[in-house]
Amino acid sequence: MKKQVLALVLAALMVCALFAGCASKPAANEQNTPATDEQNTPATTEQNTPAETKDYGTGEIKIWVADNVTAFTEEQAKAFMDAHPEFAGYTVTVEPVGEGDATNNVLTDVESAADIFGFAQDQLSRLVTAGAVIPVADENAAKVAADNDAGSVAAATLGGVMYAYPLTSDNGYFLYYDKSVVTDPTTLEAVIKSCEDAGKGFYMEINSGWYQPAFFFGAGCTLTYDTADDGSFTACNIDYASDNGLAALKALIALHKSPAFNNGSSVGNATNAAAIVDGTWDAGAAKELFGENYACAKLPTFTVDGATYQLSGFGGFKLLGVKPQTDENKLAVCDALAAYLSSPEVQLARYNAVQWGPSALEAQKNEAVQADEALAALGEQLAFAIPQGQYPGDYWSLATALGDSIIGGEYDTADDVALMDALKTFQDTCISYAK
Amino acid sequence: MDEKTRRGGKLARFFQWLGSDLKDIGATFVQGDWKTRMSYLIMGFGQIARGQFVRGISMLVLQVLLLAFIVFFGWDYLSKITTLGTVESSMRGRVITYGDNSFFILLYGILTIVAVLVLIYLWRVNLRQNRDAQRTLALGKRLPTNARDASSLLNEHFDKTLLALPVLGIFIFTVLPIIFMICIAFTNYDKNHQPPGKLFSWVGLSNFKELFGIGANSNFGSTFFYVLLWTLVWAFFATFLTYFLGMAVAIMINKKGIRFKKLWRTILVMTIAVPQFVSLLYVGKMFATDGLVNAMLLRWGWIRTAIPFWTNPVYARILIIVINLWIGIPYTMLIVTGLLMNIPAELYESARIDGANAFQTFKSITLPYMLFVTGPFLLTQFIGHLNNFNVIFLLNKGQPQSMQLSNKAGATDLLVTWLYKITVEDNNYKIAAVIGIMVFIVTAVISLVVYNTMPSVKDEEGFQ
Amino acid sequence: MAGSNRRSNAIIYAVLIVISIIWLFPFFCLILQSFRGEYGGMVNYLFPKEFSLKNYQFLFSNSSKFVRWYLNTLTIAVFVAVFQTIIIICVSYALSRMRFKGRRLLMNSWLVLGMFPGFLTMICLYFLLKLLGLTQAGAIPGLILISVASSGMGYYICKGYFDTIPKSLDEAAIIDGASRAQILWKMTIPLSKPIIIYTALVAFMAPWCDYIFASYVAFGNEDSYNVAVAMQRWVWTNDYQGYFTRFCAGGILVAIPVTILFMCLQKYYVEGITGGSVKG
Repeated sequence: MKKQVLALVLAALMVCALFAGCASKPAANEQNTPATDEQNTPATTEQNTPAETKDYGTGEIKIWVADNVTAFTEEQAKAFMDAHPEFAGYTVTVEPVGEGDATNNVLTDVESAADIFGFAQDQLSRLVTAGAVIPVADENAAKVAADNDAGSVAAATLGGVMYAYPLTSDNGYFLYYDKSVVTDPTTLEAVIKSCEDAGKGFYMEINSGWYQPAFFFGAGCTLTYDTADDGSFTACNIDYASDNGLAALKALIALHKSPAFNNGSSVGNATNAAAIVDGTWDAGAAKELFGENYACAKLPTFTVDGATYQLSGFGGFKLLGVKPQTDENKLAVCDALAAYLSSPEVQLARYNAVQWGPSALEAQKNEAVQADEALAALGEQLAFAIPQGQYPGDYWSLATALGDSIIGGEYDTADDVALMDALKTFQDTCISYAK
Repeated sequence: MDEKTRRGGKLARFFQWLGSDLKDIGATFVQGDWKTRMSYLIMGFGQIARGQFVRGISMLVLQVLLLAFIVFFGWDYLSKITTLGTVESSMRGRVITYGDNSFFILLYGILTIVAVLVLIYLWRVNLRQNRDAQRTLALGKRLPTNARDASSLLNEHFDKTLLALPVLGIFIFTVLPIIFMICIAFTNYDKNHQPPGKLFSWVGLSNFKELFGIGANSNFGSTFFYVLLWTLVWAFFATFLTYFLGMAVAIMINKKGIRFKKLWRTILVMTIAVPQFVSLLYVGKMFATDGLVNAMLLRWGWIRTAIPFWTNPVYARILIIVINLWIGIPYTMLIVTGLLMNIPAELYESARIDGANAFQTFKSITLPYMLFVTGPFLLTQFIGHLNNFNVIFLLNKGQPQSMQLSNKAGATDLLVTWLYKITVEDNNYKIAAVIGIMVFIVTAVISLVVYNTMPSVKDEEGFQ
Repeated sequence: MAGSNRRSNAIIYAVLIVISIIWLFPFFCLILQSFRGEYGGMVNYLFPKEFSLKNYQFLFSNSSKFVRWYLNTLTIAVFVAVFQTIIIICVSYALSRMRFKGRRLLMNSWLVLGMFPGFLTMICLYFLLKLLGLTQAGAIPGLILISVASSGMGYYICKGYFDTIPKSLDEAAIIDGASRAQILWKMTIPLSKPIIIYTALVAFMAPWCDYIFASYVAFGNEDSYNVAVAMQRWVWTNDYQGYFTRFCAGGILVAIPVTILFMCLQKYYVEGITGGSVKG
């Protein structure tokens, strides 16, 4: 209705402008209420009704999840609504919006964004800073913390406040390989050698801030940020500019020099892979690619100047967030739905449907989950990985820059002093992001 | 006359004009009859009273609508535009109550200012119409009838009819957003100040200072000039290589004795016809280190290790320019094909009699002619390449990045693709706005200067 | 003389054949990939080991909204082509044939405005469209509106074409008592078939490639995606492993009609662009 009125007004304005005999530019958008008020006005609610017959009113709840769990989430949301007739006034729609896009879209326009959305945990501080996600209700927080593994709970928490519901505990990486090519997946040198001999590729996305630290952390470096309660970064703990960092950088340079090396982390884009460092989400694709030679293992060790290190990396988590609501009743429904979608039972069902590794302790004990090869390899690797905390957006592009510089050959002939300079720059820049 | 006095002259003339205009407003009131005087308050009153209903009623309706817009909608925002909002969002329990939205305050505030200006302008036009009508009547002449007013819109005022809608559209969807973004350059609108959760506010020139290296993150300024330089280099090569090679291809196809002309042309224009998001995305993947091209070269034994087409900055830049030829040559080929037919055949004939070879003919006849007539085309091509988002973004997204560059800029990033990363991926609108203004200045200056010195444009009236 | 001519013709044929191969090779690959039966990631060999239609079947099956996205794009393209052409003709005629106050200023300022990088204003346009209710579910009319609203600035080539139609024709018609509107409708438009087809063709082709703004306006609502927005996810995000051959198949389906249309109207395209963008 409002749309039509607006169109009419615009049309009227234009015709008038014409007849007034001037080609002026009347630019007027008639609207009596600012757009923000639209959602401020609570839906028809009767807040004074007694609790047992509480009327939650009506509304629409939008959910954004990755494409491959859209159908699953729809099913579960329907089951939830069937089990809760008191929420019958609400309709739930599920849209496929990838975890990467979700944060961008939420930040573009919170109002039009989904009420409940899935995201990778590294986006949390960005969402908190922009005020685009609200804390988990106190009554749910304790249960969520008890149900899920410690890493995922820590990942959902910022400044002592839990902001999201853990969904998976499988955002880590390990090695997929082709048994017929790679015979010894325990050392990087052996893996690369086998790949080179077979004319096949070893894939690892070393220009990504996510994969690259496997070398640095493996060599014993640290890189973490401290955050304030509002999600802003207060301090950076980094020691890349050290002998350990130097060893890691040398290993990266040596890796890039191998003809078998390819920068990449997606099975779908790897044309010639015999080994690829990748996560559980690609398990299906990897099975398809390697066929009966499919195998996975924890990441190999690497050797620099005689010293051997185990590749480390990040352990990450997928989370489910609820955006700020202006209506108390809708918030209650969203809370309940998000809690349900992240409950141990649904996590287990999700594993069975799409093989997402659960973060719920109870679901992790399930036989099927225990028997999963990829999850087993990930589990083994996570012992060497550090739980991923919060990093400023600039860190990721800085890491890409470092990776690109390595791959581009900028350091191919550099001596230790020059490499240390580069690490020093990297470290200083990292520190400059925390103010 | 030097620049300063000329500008001073302009300013003086403006105040002179303003003064006489104000005087005229006063004089119109003093000399006006009651109909004219009423029109000072109620626009269109005089016109209606004199029987010019079409003019009068449209004036009145416009006044009512604009006033309603300003009072009921715009004022609320306009009054906060100096601070861009002060009421923070607050949480009551876990329920949020949104405070002021700086974004809407700025956007609708600007809209309201424009509405006020339009109203003032219309009011002035209204007065002038009254004055003229009164004079006409005083001389004993008749006023134009309503039917005449209406039909003039299809004849001598046809330009107004034709341009009303386009001008309105461009104003709302191009000019207004540009004004808005220019204002953003003077605010701190970034990822830490995102409405509706957070407020942003005016910060003066601090974003510009950061760009020119006065602020903390001094790498930023050098990155800007690095990207700007590559943008110019790219636009230069992309424009002139496609231009000359396209011309060469066209001349070859059009040579006498070459058969299947239509076939060759059709094959070439495939790249125009197939949407770029399909063709460029695919071609980009072909050149990956593990892509089809490398695999074939390896298989044939031409190379030992894969060529890092996209990860080596130099290769990536060359490859982008080369692939752009694939897209760009057909355009030049088409346009040159059409033009070659316009060159008088006698010119070639006499050149041949003089014993000139093919290259000499090209150099002394074809090329000068082409350069002369395709000037505007070359300019639009150059500007198009400065802002050529698709080729870069679809091929390799501006990679590779480097430690030397800040804010996600890569070696093949043009200013526009860099801007895209800064806005969409980083939500750093304030810096993006500053860069946008710079880009705008660079391209606008280049093109206005070139455009207005082009013989064919200068001589617009003379040419028919 | 004849011998050297034949030799140079032979060289030209050789060059043209090489060029043709280079030009067509990527499309040839694309077609082959779209019929590939084995796993749908990238591969580094040219000929599929197994030919199959399953990628096309997927696009038309219930598990994909490809048909919907296709129709969305087609709708946008048709409407944009019609309205944009009308607007450009109006603007070009006014600027080419009428002389009024501020004409030069208008032309210069539009030329300059077109150089402002569009991405900056995306967020602003998004909220303007949202005010009108034309985002997400209403993204299709929204995208049409945005493309059409600013199209007046693209008057350049069309005006150039109108400039080549002799003014004496107009003057004669005015003497015969025709109004400006009649001249445009009865004389200029019939004389301008190539430029009209050119304008409509360019306008029709653009929406098929519109990814950036379309994804910005339609986010979170799969039903109003266009093909470019929907399909680029298949190659750029990890959520769609093994969709590459499907992307190729979809790409072929997008390319076919656009290509055929372009081939049929090529003649007018050439006449339009050469008549309008240059002056001799």
